[in-house]
Amino acid sequence: MGLDFRVSEPLTFGVELELMVLNTRDYDLARGAADLLARLAKADLPGEVKPEITESMIEINSAVNRSYDTLLSQLGAVRDAIVHAADRLNLAIAGGGAHPFHRWTERRIFPTERFLKVSNLYGYLAKQFTVFGQHIHIGVASPDDAVYLTHALAPYIPHFIALSASSPFAQGQDTSFETSRLHAVASFPLAGQMPPVITWHEFSRYFDEMQGYGIVGSMKDFYWDIRPKPEYGTVEIRICDTPLTIELAAQLAAYAQTLAADLLENRRLEPVEPLYRVYGYNRFQACRFGFEAALVDPYGKKHVNLRDDLLATLDRLLGRSVALGTTMPLRALADLAREGRSGAEWLRTEYAATRSMPDVVRHQALLWRGEAAARR
Amino acid sequence: MQLGFLPSFPLTFSYALLFGALLVAGMVGGEVARTFRLPRILGYGFVGFLCAPFAQALGLDLLIDEARIFVNLALGLVLFDLGRRFDLQWMKRDWTLAASAAAESLLSFAAVFATLLALQVPMIDAGLAAAIAMTTSPAMLLFTVHETRAEGQVTERAMTIVGMNGLLASIITTMMVASSHLADSTQVEVALLHPIYLFFGSLAVGAAMAWLTRVVARNIEKSKDVHFTLIVGMVVGAVGLATMLKLPVILTLLAFGIFSRNDDRGYELLNVNLAPLGRLLYIVLFVITGASVPVEALASAGVVALLFLAARGLGKLVGILAVAPIGGLRMRQCLGLALAVQPMSALTLLMAHDIGRIFPQFGHSLGDVFIAAVIIMEIAGPLAVQAGLRLAGETVPDDGSMTLPPRTASTRGA
Repeated sequence: MGLDFRVSEPLTFGVELELMVLNTRDYDLARGAADLLARLAKADLPGEVKPEITESMIEINSAVNRSYDTLLSQLGAVRDAIVHAADRLNLAIAGGGAHPFHRWTERRIFPTERFLKVSNLYGYLAKQFTVFGQHIHIGVASPDDAVYLTHALAPYIPHFIALSASSPFAQGQDTSFETSRLHAVASFPLAGQMPPVITWHEFSRYFDEMQGYGIVGSMKDFYWDIRPKPEYGTVEIRICDTPLTIELAAQLAAYAQTLAADLLENRRLEPVEPLYRVYGYNRFQACRFGFEAALVDPYGKKHVNLRDDLLATLDRLLGRSVALGTTMPLRALADLAREGRSGAEWLRTEYAATRSMPDVVRHQALLWRGEAAARR
Repeated sequence: MQLGFLPSFPLTFSYALLFGALLVAGMVGGEVARTFRLPRILGYGFVGFLCAPFAQALGLDLLIDEARIFVNLALGLVLFDLGRRFDLQWMKRDWTLAASAAAESLLSFAAVFATLLALQVPMIDAGLAAAIAMTTSPAMLLFTVHETRAEGQVTERAMTIVGMNGLLASIITTMMVASSHLADSTQVEVALLHPIYLFFGSLAVGAAMAWLTRVVARNIEKSKDVHFTLIVGMVVGAVGLATMLKLPVILTLLAFGIFSRNDDRGYELLNVNLAPLGRLLYIVLFVITGASVPVEALASAGVVALLFLAARGLGKLVGILAVAPIGGLRMRQCLGLALAVQPMSALTLLMAHDIGRIFPQFGHSLGDVFIAAVIIMEIAGPLAVQAGLRLAGETVPDDGSMTLPPRTASTRGA
């Protein structure tokens, strides 16, 4: 038995954000992670800054939080420290799910043992994996709750895709998708979803079997959209693009926290299999059309508009949000959905105005800094 | 029967034929160097050395004279490129960058000046030589960076430092022109006005060209192809304008590049890659440099040249080691940076040549020293840059691959 679940305080939460490291000449991705990390090593930060698969990425992890307010202020502190360190190195930092025009062949693998192994195994997929996501961790009281919540969150994955979508461009072209990032994830053989197991015991048996085949060594090897994270005692939502601002990143985490609170209290009793029959289709709809996606409701056997479904959910959660202190972020998300102000839309508007991808990324970096000039 | 339509013998080589032949020969030399894992520039210079004995027979010496405008164009492109990488904003955010450039420039000046004085070189000649010694060959640095696909702090800082030492050296040498007029006992007004004209004239032309380029850029499509043509046209024009106005090409083009970068608040000008064109020009430039430096200079001035290079190299090393670590650079990065700013090449020869025209005695006493130093640096320079960038860990590994050979087909540990 290879999996010990470390129980954590329910509904505590934290986020991981993967960020772009850019040069300030033409705002292409730059090789700067190691120098940035060396500079930040001395700083006293509320959270961690870590390398990612290629040298043009860094990842920030918040500490474990109970409230939206502390999470937001933590992310602000870490952002400011990174931006300041980057300034000294003539680098820029930006959010967004994918760099609009970088060439993956120019990326270099960050030389840690694990990343070299990934690169060794997956070949060019590893460099193409230079995409930037937000992961949200929600604490759960028991391993069975982790399995339950992983399934229960699955129907809401399209909401998170549409709200965070910020990678409409790839290789210098408009992909017509709201997020192109998820295609880079989908190429991996262990991407997808957790199998329809219901208890931690069943899940452990599945894991042992996969481990026995030599397919996986740890939970890290499953690149699922949502997965239990036994080391932290959390459920991890891994579907979001890194948003263009820390504010949206914190709001998404607040949505996940409030939703989890609701799902843990009002337990869903429906069978999980129908969910996964439509999962891939709904996911595609959200990636391609964002708030306009037509989702299939497998239980009601009908189509629903993603925006309507999201607004109804946010509305339903408002009562619960009071106790958690997440009313403000949920209202902000509802406004964003109503007005269709996704990151993808922001980027497309910038491109229409400047007709230049480097300018888009430059504005993206200003927006990440929280500078008023780039805000709309 | 009259065969007047046939060319008359002996055949004379046209410049186009010579240019083409040198380009291909240089390229082949570069590829040969590559098979020994050496920098390609070394191959270009070596082809030049091989051509040197036949230079006269081939009419190469004529090409070298005629090629001055072409040398200026090649240098113009690289100086503009360098100027565009000269980032005043960055210097403001990290004072250690400007300070390390100033330290390595001044210490190499001081070390060379002291060495030459000790070797009984007259003070004014020693001062001019020391000013030229501050410069690093921007072409060798840019070319090697491009060839090794180096990227990172050392690469970026080396570019900025080289821009700064080129700027300092051309300002100092321009100012020293005044002393030549005083020595000639011409009027004091001329002695004052000439350097002022050279200095502010170059800056004004550079600024005006940068402004004009932005105005055009604002009104055309923002695509790399269009901006490439715009920039090349403007750079060639600026070289011509500087020559026409009797202004120093080096300072004018450097100023053009610096203004283009630092005055472009609207980000109207795209950062286009000039390397593909630069590469063609530089292959020929390095072959010609190799062919035009008389190797005999090594025999007559080799020892002095070595002392000169040692003093210069030490000055740069100490200057960088004294300041760069304060900016957070690790020791390997500092050493890499010090190695990357060592090269000397065409820029040096050009400056020495220009000064020799104003101060004939300078050409007599130190001309051979510079030639011998450039010969040594044609070989040592590219190797130093390559070693420096490797030491800093900024080059792409030689085999170009990022992976270890697969040992197992298991996904474990991924």
